[in-house]
Amino acid sequence: MALTALEIYKLLPKTNCKDCGFPTCLAFAMQLAGGKEKIEKCEHASEEAKQTLGAASAPPLPKVLVGTGDRTVTLGDEVVLFRHEKTFYHPTAIAVSVSDALSEETLRERVRGISALSFERVGQALSVDLVAVRCESGDPARFAAAAASALATGGKPLLLVGPCAVLEAAVGVAGTSRPLLCPPPEETGNGARLAASGKLPLVVRARGIEGLAKALAIARTAGATDLVADPMSADALQAVADSVFIRRLAITHRAREIAYPTAFDLGQGFPQPFAAACLLVSKYGSLLVLDTADPAEIFPILTLRQNLFTDPQRPIQVEPGIYPIGKVTPSSPVLVTTNFSLTYFTVRSDVESAKTPAYLLIAECDGMSVLTAWAAGKFTAESIARILTESGIAEQVGHRTLILPGMVARLSGKIEELAPWRVLVGPQESSALPSYLRRLPPAAFAAAHG
Amino acid sequence: MGDSSGGRLRFLPEGVTTSLSTGETILAHAIRAGVAILSPCGGEGRCGKCRVAVTGNIRGDSDPGILSPEDRRSGIRLSCRCVPLDGEVGVTVLPESRPARLSAYIDGREMAENGPYLPFHVVPEKGTPLGVALDVGTSTLAGVLIDLRDGAVLARATADNPQMVCGEDLISRIVYGEENPDGFPLLRRLLLRGLDKVIADLLAFSPEPGKIVEVTAAGNTVLSHILYGLSPAPVRRPPHRPTLKEYPVKTGKELGVSNAPSARFRIFPSIGGFVGGDIVAGILASGMHRSEAVSLLFDVGTNGEVALGNREFRIACSSSAGPAFEGGEVACGMRAYPGAIESVRIDPESLAAEYTVIGSGKPAGVCGSGILDLCAELFRAGLIDRTGRFVSRAGAPFRETERGRAFVVVEADRSATGADISFTASDLKCVIRTKAALCAAADALLQVVGLSREEVERVYIAGGFGNFLDLRSALTIGVFPPFPLKKFVPLGNASLAGAIGALRSRKRWEEAAALAPSTAYHDLSSDPAFMDLYQRALFLPHTDVESYRANLSPEIAR
Amino acid sequence: MTIPSAARCYPGRILSVTLPAAPGGTPVTVGGQNALPLVPEGDRPHRAAVGMEVGTGVCEPPPSLARAVENREKDPVSFAKACVEEWGAQFLFLSLSGCHPDGGGQTVSLGARILREVLTAVPCPVIVGGCGEEEIDAKLFPAVAEAAPRPVFLSYADEKNYRLVGGAAMAYGHGVVSWSPIDINMAKQINLLLSDIGVPAGRILIDPLTGGLGYGLEYTFSIVERIRLAGLGGDGMLALPVLCHLGDAWKAREAVEVSEPSWGDVVVRGRRWEEATGWACLAAGADLLVCRHPENVAAFRGMAWR
Repeated sequence: MALTALEIYKLLPKTNCKDCGFPTCLAFAMQLAGGKEKIEKCEHASEEAKQTLGAASAPPLPKVLVGTGDRTVTLGDEVVLFRHEKTFYHPTAIAVSVSDALSEETLRERVRGISALSFERVGQALSVDLVAVRCESGDPARFAAAAASALATGGKPLLLVGPCAVLEAAVGVAGTSRPLLCPPPEETGNGARLAASGKLPLVVRARGIEGLAKALAIARTAGATDLVADPMSADALQAVADSVFIRRLAITHRAREIAYPTAFDLGQGFPQPFAAACLLVSKYGSLLVLDTADPAEIFPILTLRQNLFTDPQRPIQVEPGIYPIGKVTPSSPVLVTTNFSLTYFTVRSDVESAKTPAYLLIAECDGMSVLTAWAAGKFTAESIARILTESGIAEQVGHRTLILPGMVARLSGKIEELAPWRVLVGPQESSALPSYLRRLPPAAFAAAHG
Repeated sequence: MGDSSGGRLRFLPEGVTTSLSTGETILAHAIRAGVAILSPCGGEGRCGKCRVAVTGNIRGDSDPGILSPEDRRSGIRLSCRCVPLDGEVGVTVLPESRPARLSAYIDGREMAENGPYLPFHVVPEKGTPLGVALDVGTSTLAGVLIDLRDGAVLARATADNPQMVCGEDLISRIVYGEENPDGFPLLRRLLLRGLDKVIADLLAFSPEPGKIVEVTAAGNTVLSHILYGLSPAPVRRPPHRPTLKEYPVKTGKELGVSNAPSARFRIFPSIGGFVGGDIVAGILASGMHRSEAVSLLFDVGTNGEVALGNREFRIACSSSAGPAFEGGEVACGMRAYPGAIESVRIDPESLAAEYTVIGSGKPAGVCGSGILDLCAELFRAGLIDRTGRFVSRAGAPFRETERGRAFVVVEADRSATGADISFTASDLKCVIRTKAALCAAADALLQVVGLSREEVERVYIAGGFGNFLDLRSALTIGVFPPFPLKKFVPLGNASLAGAIGALRSRKRWEEAAALAPSTAYHDLSSDPAFMDLYQRALFLPHTDVESYRANLSPEIAR
Repeated sequence: MTIPSAARCYPGRILSVTLPAAPGGTPVTVGGQNALPLVPEGDRPHRAAVGMEVGTGVCEPPPSLARAVENREKDPVSFAKACVEEWGAQFLFLSLSGCHPDGGGQTVSLGARILREVLTAVPCPVIVGGCGEEEIDAKLFPAVAEAAPRPVFLSYADEKNYRLVGGAAMAYGHGVVSWSPIDINMAKQINLLLSDIGVPAGRILIDPLTGGLGYGLEYTFSIVERIRLAGLGGDGMLALPVLCHLGDAWKAREAVEVSEPSWGDVVVRGRRWEEATGWACLAAGADLLVCRHPENVAAFRGMAWR
């Protein structure tokens, strides 16, 4: 939404009636500006307001769904050009291809191999989203059989690539799984009619943006509604340029005739497909088709996708745990602080300056700094006592003395009660750690008896 | 202080009245009453800056010849050398005796000019009807006694908030309340004790006896809750929702204020979260809610509240800036009492600090305005870099202490404590964090609403740190976004001013009651943009140096 | 129908910064553009440059790397030559990791000597990195600044040591790499601090700290995009070329793990792990990449840049 909260506020009744659930009209306007609420929630909004705000909130890029159930792949439906402006909603969909020229058994094996491209990272399962069935046989029955087999073996939604004759046959057997149809560029019209009759999504292929716009118009006229645009880029850099321009046209220029999710076929001899895949995941590619099923290549691409499509509003955090600094020994001091990345970096750097090897215990605090975490009740005596017992630090050191950030000195008594650890109150400012650590008597960290 | 002889001093042009205390100089009366008079020499009669024009019965002919015969004939005296004797003594503070820095004390009387005097009060059976306006502050409680017949100010009094023993800041006090079985009741008793003391002092200072029938009280949501007998715990945790935002009228007896049992207490409503009645009162005092012009209001105190808006809309937040500007957290910091260094200059060549102290004694510490000056001067002198780290320079009075390297403001032999008064890098970081929170809060409000800095026409500064605020120092280190100097309007203790205004005028009270629910509360802790703005402001004057250079003169913006 | 042009130029321009070379070598100039990367729009006088990292310390390269560098990394000078002459590095990042107590405990004068040897052996531009240990670096940077027979870039200056590094750079005519921990405000702040002490903008490169793939890359990606947008929008202190170290990618378990067959061949995987990191950085706007795998130099340089 290009309108500011204040501009939106001026269109509202300004009565602060609270019927929308927000205490003031300005608060509701702020939600509208952030795209978190819809104008319909205000029963008393004027017609003019509903018009202006309703129109302004229409998505610049339509959503296209492929597949059904919990395997549905969503393409498009993005609102910003840079992830830091808000977030990217729908990760680039990755399709790995099989050819209908393969024997039944080989095809099944290949599809199994694609299904095996599944990797677990930081609590998320990364996997390929679609199986692309390429027609190399020219035979509708064979293609249909290959599609059915790919669907049955892999369970993933399908991208069907081939002339309309074979697509029609495949739709006959696999149409209910909502596959994405991909006819050649010269058959856009027929392909669109086929897609329209089955209410299926369609990839429209044409060279260049002007060509694409014309082809998309043809597809729309033929009755197809869920369209994906493939500019048939010749190489990686062309593909990036096409992808960037189309996305800009959709979001900044609101050029509806070209505002569609994009697809790129990086197989069939496309030069430097790995590079292209990485660049397109980084720059607005909605769907990529790859011929390789090599995990050594797919895993990094999926990880890149995982990284770039995380919510950038989450504050940058480090993993909670024990971080040894320098050559630690069982009598090294133990300090605790929160997992906000900047806090961690600063404290770590200051401890390093101190030249005293030490253990830094990082507590899970949703990435908040010390004072914020304490104020929000995330960095408490209880949570710190818990880390002391659960982190395993007790096995690393012989002493039971913890250095607490000076800002939360008031927690020291309670921590000593809860965990059987002694608490020393460190400085308020991390920058004072070097002199603080240097002045600590070594006896503070002698092994505890018993 | 001597006994009251029944006489009265009336300071002009403010119109502040205070009871005459035998043996005390006019200057001492002025300090106590909150009237600003220059006295760089500390009241020793040496500088000749504290001139006033006096009418009435005074003693003080032992002037050391600084005044000219013409001056003396016109009734001009040095306020540090004159002692009022009895009766009505009128003291006009001459313009040249005003501190050159921006200081002002808006008296609610100015607001009442906009409308007829319309108090609420019920006329008591006998005696003068009195009203009390209270600023229920985190660190300081302040009160003003009003003669409800004509709205005149009869007395002023302040007291430390006794709750300080349970915590310097509000969150600590909430934590104290939650963790101790008698916690919240104790906090309430302490607050009541403080308010009772202020009221007792007001009655004692008042030249008129009478009965307190009306009280207005403006305070943070947490303190309003405690006064009202509610637990403030819900305010601390997200979604920071107060139990009550409006506080139906109760008598002093019902609330537990024993020195005004039959008075009707109107506690200013809260906006949301920590942003409470004190900000509503401040907005009221500024008048920004009646103007087309978009204004910002900063309440420079521990809670660091900021409000943005105009007649059409308002939004407010609390930055939890920290108490550095009230003399807290900084090792040599103290509140603005006698002994506090309130202004500092660093000689660009000798690099030594020159300072003025409140009262006439040796310095014991540095109060908020002094801390501000000190940081600005260290920066101007090139003794600290933009991150607040010290820069080694030949001849600079740095010393290694157990808190690390420190800049010595006052040597031990010149200080009241017998120890150096010095400022470390940690202290500087404290101040920078405090100022960054305040500055970022304002930018966060502008951003979330969608306004640019240029669209702000006025910037109100409220809050007392010694009632003095050197705007040049503040802008040098970036306490505020770089608004041109002429946009700033100092309000002094605006919370108290608003409370006075509402006491004198029913209309104003009704405005306050309408103000609160129509002002949006913005929770900075859940605003992802705030952290970024805060990090940006953790720099002198700011990471966006160019906007300071573009809007402020080179003497202010480096 | 007419589709509007989606090309976008910006009012600002990234400063051109040159990393000088010895006679016979090719200097590297980056920056100068007034548009976002990879897209045909605006002026783009220089392409992104690719360099390799040479370390002086004791280290075991991970398996995928070890095979590719064929054991050359033991001797910094011959490794440096291989990087430039065989693998196409346009510049070198010489990390004096050997001076760190854990990296070999080499003396400062030995570190300076190795630097001189490398600078004599290869004519390409060189960026010199400290060992990472504060007290040793406090002596190392001035020694290196003095010992270098030709101008280099010193890496890196941060809020704590900028006076030391900046001072050494100015005294001997070197450039400075400014460092910040993935924070755009701190990136600008360190440049302001350097500028305050007199380091000219044309001798500063920005190192925003590059998180490897899977371990913070997205933070770097967004910070680099934001830095680039700010620079193109006219913020002079951020309108400087950005340098990304891809070496962090090798810290990932996924880049080096040999015993996970479902992850594919580690030799390919490791290299691709670094490569993916690099493409993302280029897409965000990086002007200089420092990589460790020779084939990635070819991959980045080999893209059909226009």
